[in-house]
Amino acid sequence: MTGPAISVNLNKGQADMSKTSWIRRSGLGLAALAGFILPAAAGTLDTVKQRGTLQCGVSEGVASFSEQDAQGNWRGFDVDFCRAVAAAVLGDAGKVAFTPLSASQRFDALKGGKVDLLARNSTWTLGREAELGLAFAGITYHDGQGFLAKRSLKVDTALSLDKAKICVEAGTTTQLNLADFFKANSMTYEEKVYPSAAEAFAAFESGQCDALTRDQSALHGDRLRLAKPAEAIVLPDVISKEPLGPVVRSDDFPWFTLVKWVNFALVNAEEIGVSSTNLDEALKSTKPDVRRFVGAEGGFGKALGLDADWAVRAVKAGGNYAEIYERNLGTGSKLGIPRGLNQLWSMGGVLYAPPLR
Amino acid sequence: MNQLLRTALSGLAMSGFGLGSLVALPGAASAQPRPPAAIQETMEIGDEPGRVSTEEVSITEGPYARQMVLFRSNEAPGTVVIHSAERFLYVVQGNGRALRYGIGVGREGFTWSGQVQVSRKAEWPDWRPPPEMLQRQPYLPRFMAGGPGNPMGARALYLGSTVFRIHGTNQPETIGQAISSGCFRLANGDISDLYDRVPVGTKVIIRHKATL
Repeated sequence: MTGPAISVNLNKGQADMSKTSWIRRSGLGLAALAGFILPAAAGTLDTVKQRGTLQCGVSEGVASFSEQDAQGNWRGFDVDFCRAVAAAVLGDAGKVAFTPLSASQRFDALKGGKVDLLARNSTWTLGREAELGLAFAGITYHDGQGFLAKRSLKVDTALSLDKAKICVEAGTTTQLNLADFFKANSMTYEEKVYPSAAEAFAAFESGQCDALTRDQSALHGDRLRLAKPAEAIVLPDVISKEPLGPVVRSDDFPWFTLVKWVNFALVNAEEIGVSSTNLDEALKSTKPDVRRFVGAEGGFGKALGLDADWAVRAVKAGGNYAEIYERNLGTGSKLGIPRGLNQLWSMGGVLYAPPLR
Repeated sequence: MNQLLRTALSGLAMSGFGLGSLVALPGAASAQPRPPAAIQETMEIGDEPGRVSTEEVSITEGPYARQMVLFRSNEAPGTVVIHSAERFLYVVQGNGRALRYGIGVGREGFTWSGQVQVSRKAEWPDWRPPPEMLQRQPYLPRFMAGGPGNPMGARALYLGSTVFRIHGTNQPETIGQAISSGCFRLANGDISDLYDRVPVGTKVIIRHKATL
């Protein structure tokens, strides 16, 4: 590959001749050329840097994902992701303006530029990308439908729920998934349908069914709301896919890449042993993967339009993936949701971040 | 045996432990088979000998309660997997599930990762604090026979030819913490449950946080 050949190719209908000839004269390689001609950092990233704050769309209050405490501070798993992005981009985890959005408002707000990023426990589906012009920048939480069962049934898997009475909300994909799961496993069940999730919960609590089905993240909260939480257990089985992740506009690829790699950085940090408590030690590490992570090698921060220590700042904001998970949803929270699918691929789950190199 | 008991008694007397914790010891001790010589009875663990926790104490609520969880593994059902950074021990069940127990782990010391087998099992194991531990905590007994006040707790699973074990505790509130000096500890009710599920020869895989 030669410089001139590439510049001719890219020149079609884009770069003016003077720019091309300057590049030829200076003998710059492919990377510099692409950076020069494509408006790599002309979108959301520049806007956020100029504004000095990240506009993050969150829920109006979903326990442990995004909610405001008594002092008005936003807290939660999605909130911590926004803070990690702000820290990577702006160097300050506090420079986030949170915009609470309802389920119906959220995608329009993002499309209309009201927020730079949506971290609002939204499920990644084809329709939301292909029809709405949005892009999911990865998966931060693998949710899925599960079962809250009476402990007295003495079952430890959903495969033992044959002939059980199951409470479910009407007219949802939850109801359809339930039917599919029992059919696929040659089991029968007695369906108890209620018009709302609240009524289905109340019916389960009053003993009208053996198990309640809905997304697992919600079932762990439901269990704690029971008068006697110890008399019910969330079964380990996940019977549907509800991948939740941050969403950006699909017309800004550099911003999409940046948000995606903040998520990957948090997961990779856990995998290579970098946490908020050992960053000083990490900066002194001689291991190549750690050196790339902290920005001592590789120059990936610059490629993203950020400082070399972008990943260190993201982890400093609220910890690596494990720290964020355990604090908001796991062992450090009332919910105590087991990592399950949201564990590293090498440790029993499906979290798999491409390598930072 | 006599010499062991004398050592135990003098150790305990020196350290000023009450008679209450001594009374139960001789019977419990004589009921125990002696370990093979290759396995040292020296462990660095907790430092509240004499404190009694009942055999039945299990963690019943919260994340460290014994529970079935989703756990993808290629290991055969029955295999024990320990993730020390998470403070969990898993018994693989197959079909994407594992039975998970909350554990307490060593502050430091046990950094060895890999695969071992359960080489021996013991009920109400004895305890001999190693010299390094006695140096730091000279008030500890030189020997303590197995029993309810023993920091080793109700059961122990010996790991290969190492000095390390998965054992019980007389301090169930330390589950989820890093305070023992190298071993993996479970509440007594939970180690008893695990003991009944795990035969000698079971594969044990130990994983720690990646080092920088």
